[in-house]
Amino acid sequence: MEWFKNANYDFQKIRRKAMAVSALVILAGIVSMVIRGGPNWSIDFTGGISVRLRFEKPMSEGEVRGVMSRIGLGDSEIKRISELGGASDILVQFKKTTATEGGVDRIKSALQQAFPDNSFAVRQVENIGPKIGKELRGKAVWASLLALLGILIYVSARFEFLFSLAGVLALFHDVLVTVGIFSILGKEISLTIVAALLTIIGYSINDTIVIFDRIRENLKRLKTKGLEEIINTSINQTLSRTIVTNLTVFIVLWILFIFGGTVIRDFALALLIGSFAGTYSTIYIASPILIEWNARAEKLQKRKMQR
Amino acid sequence: MKQRKLLLRLGLIGFFIFLAIYHLYPTYRYSELRKVQSQEIQSLARLTGTAAAELERAVQEGRSEDVMDHIGGAELTSDNRALAKQKADELLGEFAEKLDKSHRQSLKLGLDLQGGMHLVLEVDLVGLMKQLANNSDARFDTLTAEIARRLMDPRLDFNETVLDVFESSGVRLSRYYLESQSSNRQVLDFLSKEADDAIARSLEVMRNRIDQFGVAEPTIVQQGSRRIIVELPGLQDPARARELIGKTALLEFKLLLEPAAAQKVLEDVDRILKRERFLAAGDTTALAALLAEAKADTAAQDTAATPAAKDKVVEASKLFTEEGDKTALGEDTSLVVAEGLQEEHPFYALLRNIGDEVAVVKQNRRAVEIVLAKPEIRAAIPRDVEFLWSNELVMGPDNKEYWNLYLLKAAPEITGKYLTKADVEIGSGGDPGREGQPTVSLSMNRDGARIFSRVTGANVGRKLAIVLDRKVHMAPVIKVKIPDGRAIIEGSDNMEAARDLAIVLRAGALPAPVEIIEEQTVGPSLGADSISKGSLSAIVSFIIIGLFMAWYYKLAGIVADVALVLNLIFLMAILAGFQATLTLPGIAGIILTIGMAVDANVLIYERIREELRSGKTIRSSIDAGYQRATVTILDANITTIIAAVVLYQFGTGPIRGFALTLMIGVAVSLYTAIVGTRLIFDMYTQKFAPKRLSI
Repeated sequence: MEWFKNANYDFQKIRRKAMAVSALVILAGIVSMVIRGGPNWSIDFTGGISVRLRFEKPMSEGEVRGVMSRIGLGDSEIKRISELGGASDILVQFKKTTATEGGVDRIKSALQQAFPDNSFAVRQVENIGPKIGKELRGKAVWASLLALLGILIYVSARFEFLFSLAGVLALFHDVLVTVGIFSILGKEISLTIVAALLTIIGYSINDTIVIFDRIRENLKRLKTKGLEEIINTSINQTLSRTIVTNLTVFIVLWILFIFGGTVIRDFALALLIGSFAGTYSTIYIASPILIEWNARAEKLQKRKMQR
Repeated sequence: MKQRKLLLRLGLIGFFIFLAIYHLYPTYRYSELRKVQSQEIQSLARLTGTAAAELERAVQEGRSEDVMDHIGGAELTSDNRALAKQKADELLGEFAEKLDKSHRQSLKLGLDLQGGMHLVLEVDLVGLMKQLANNSDARFDTLTAEIARRLMDPRLDFNETVLDVFESSGVRLSRYYLESQSSNRQVLDFLSKEADDAIARSLEVMRNRIDQFGVAEPTIVQQGSRRIIVELPGLQDPARARELIGKTALLEFKLLLEPAAAQKVLEDVDRILKRERFLAAGDTTALAALLAEAKADTAAQDTAATPAAKDKVVEASKLFTEEGDKTALGEDTSLVVAEGLQEEHPFYALLRNIGDEVAVVKQNRRAVEIVLAKPEIRAAIPRDVEFLWSNELVMGPDNKEYWNLYLLKAAPEITGKYLTKADVEIGSGGDPGREGQPTVSLSMNRDGARIFSRVTGANVGRKLAIVLDRKVHMAPVIKVKIPDGRAIIEGSDNMEAARDLAIVLRAGALPAPVEIIEEQTVGPSLGADSISKGSLSAIVSFIIIGLFMAWYYKLAGIVADVALVLNLIFLMAILAGFQATLTLPGIAGIILTIGMAVDANVLIYERIREELRSGKTIRSSIDAGYQRATVTILDANITTIIAAVVLYQFGTGPIRGFALTLMIGVAVSLYTAIVGTRLIFDMYTQKFAPKRLSI
C-alpha cells in the first residue's frame, strides 16, 4: 500500500489565498476574544471553586441552579458531564475574584438541604485561590514563550536562521489558531489546555523540520531549479509521510476525544486543532515565508547589481 | 565479524528487556497481592459479620487494634475466633509486609488516579508580622492591612512591600519591632529570619498532625519560600483533613474583664456610636462598603429568622443613617434590635443579655463587627482588652441562635506551649451535663502548672476563657486554685471532633496562621473511572495503529509494531524504575506517544521506499534509508523534548506526569524505532537474503 506515490501537486500556487484564510481564522479568533474580554480562562487561572457531583437520581441543571442562586452563587456555572454508558455528573463551578471561605461546604450543605431524598457523592473538588490563578497565568505565557525560544535556538543551530524564524512563526500561527478556535467554540483555557499548547509547539515543528530537511537536501541536489519549485518538490516527496504520521496521531487523538473523559476531551480537541494547523502551516506559512523572503532578497540583489 | 556484532546488539536489547521486566514485576505483583488481600478481607468480613469496607480501611491503614476490635466484637465460636485471629494476624503481619515491599517498588499512581487530596498552604506572613510586633496601634493596623492588600499580587516580594509601605507613610519599622534605634534593614532581616523559621516549624507541626491523623504515605513538602504542599492519597474525609491541617491551634487562657470594667467599655462604645451616627456623613463610602460586605455575608448564611414580638426588625441603613444604602440592602441584613433602645443606645440595641453573658443574635454579628472595627470606636477601647466571639452558636431562651461576645484581657495568662498531653475522655456520670460527652483533657508541664496555679489562685471567682484560634470555647468560673496544671475543654460535637482537637493541641500550634490557597480533591470512584477510560483508550489506540501499520507497510509495519510494544514496555519500566508518578494526563501522554512514536518508522520506511524506487539494492536501500532519516528524526524529536522539558518546569502534579511520559516516550521511541527495528531488518536480510522487501 502506498499513497501519493508520484505526487506532484503545485502547493505553492495558492499560497497567498491560503495565507489569507489563515489570517481570517486568526482574526476571527481574536475578534471572539475581544468580544469575550480576553481568553476564557478556567478556574485554574482565575481562581474559583468547582465541585463535581454524582446524584443518585437524575437531576436537572435548572434545579441545581435554583439552589445556587438561593445561596448567593447565582452566577455559578452548572454543567452536565455525560459519559459513555449513560452516567452523568453535575459540575458546579464558579469563578471568584475574592477568597471565599468554606464555599465547597456551603454548596454541599445547600444541596443536601434542598434535595434530602436524592443523595450525591462528591467526585471531585477544586478550590483555587485567586492568587495562585493569577500567578499561573503569567507562568503559562512565559512557559509558551520559553518553549518557542528554545525551539528557535535549536532549529537555528541546525538550519539557517531564516528557516528557524519561519518555523517559529508557523508555530505562533498554530497556537493562535488553536486559542482562537477555542474562544470561538466557547471553550475554556485550563492548565491541561496550556499543556496541549506546549505539546503543539513541540510537535507541530516536526513537520516543518522534516520538510525543511528535504528542502535543504534538494537545494544541494537540484541547484538549477527555483526555490518555489524545490519547495513544491520537497513537500510532494514527503507527502506520504506527512499523511501517514498525521493520520496515526489523528487516530489516537480521536480515540482520546471519544473515550478519554471530560478533562482529556478538551485536551484532545486542542491537539487535534493544533496538529492540523501544524501540518497546514508547514506548507502554507513556513514555506511561503521562505519563498517571499527569497523573492525580496533576489530583487534587492538585482537592484544592487544594476547600480 | 558481522555476525558477532549482530549478536552483541541483540544481547543489548535483550538486556534492556530484562531490566524493564525486572522493574515492572513489582507493579504486577502488587496488583495481584491486592486482589488476594481484598479476597481475604472479604472472607474475614463474612466470618465476623462486619462491613468489608470498614475492615478494609482499617487493614490498609494498619490499625491493628481496630481490626482486632472488629473480631472481638463479633459473636463467634472459639474455633472461628481463632481462625479470624489467625487471618487478621496474617493480613496485618507478613502479608502487609509483602504488599508494602512490592508497593514501594511499583509504579505510583497520581492523586487524580487513586483519589485523594492535594493542598497548597501559604504561611500568612502578615499574620506573623502582627504576632511579632512589640506593640500595635491603629496606624499599625492600617499599614499591615495595606501590606496584605498589596501582597495579593503574587509578583511582589514580601520584604520590599513591607519596606515600601512603611517608608511611604514615613513610619520607621523599629517603632514596632526590635529596639527603637534598629534600622529598617535590621528589622527586615529579623522578619525574614522569623518567616523562614515559621515555615520550618509549620512543616514540622503539620507532619506531626498528619502522622497522628493516620494517612498512608502523605507527602508534605515546602514549595518556594512560603508555601507548603500537602498530599494525602486515598483520603476519605476532606473536610476533616482541611480543618486539621489548616487550623492554627493557638491555645490561650484569657481572663474575662470584671463585670464593672466590661460595662464601662460597652458604655463607651455605645456613646461613641450614638454620636457617630449623626456625624457619619463623611464616612458614607467606607461604611457602605462594609454594609455591602455584611449583606453578602449574611445572605450567604441564609437567615430566615422571624423577629420575636418585642424585637423590631430594622433596616441596617436606619441604624447607620447613611442615605443611599437602602438599595444595597436586602432583607437579609435586617438587624434585630430591641425596641425603644436604638435611638438612645444604638450599640446596646444590637446586644442581649443571656444569663450573665453578652449575646448577639445570629444575624447581628456582622453589624457588631463593623461597629467594633470603626477607628473611632477602636480608639475608645482600651488597648489591653479585646472582644472575641464564642466558637459556636448557642441557643437562647427564646429559641433563637446567638453568638456570645466576650470582653477579655488581651494578654493571655498562659498559652498552649506548656502543654504536655491532650487526650480524649468521655465525661463521667458523676459530672452532670457532661455524661457521655467527649471532652479533651489537657496536662501542662511543671512551668505551666506553676503559672496556672498562680493565675487560678489569684483570680478565684473570676471567669477564665479557654481561647482556641481567637475563638472562645468556654469561659468557666474559677472555683478553686488548680495546682496540678490540668484543664478540660468541653463542647466537642462528637468523638472524631474531640480526637482531632486533641491531635492539633498535642502537635502544637502553627507559628503563624496558614491559608489554604489551593485544594484539589478527587474521589476514589472518579480515579478508578479515569484508569479504566485511560486503559481502554490505550488498548484501542494500540490495536488500530498496529493494524494500520501492518496494512500500510506489510512486514515492515509489523516490525514497527514490535518496536511500539518495546517502546511501551520501556516507557512503563522507566516510570516505575525512577519512582515517577502516573497521572491521568500522563496516560494521555502514553497514548499520544503511541501515535507519535511510529513517525520515526514512517520516515525511515518512506525513505527506504524512495531508495528502492531509485533502483538501489535492498541492503543499500535499508542502509541509506536509516542513515538519511536518522538526522531528521533526531531534529524533529529533540524539539518535542524541548517543549516537554519546559512544560515539566511549568507544570505541577498531573501536568508534570504528562510532560514526563511525553519526554520519556519520545526519547525511547528514538531507540526502539531506529536501533530496534534496524536490528530486525539486518537479521532478516542476512538470514533470508530476500529478493523483495515487504514494505
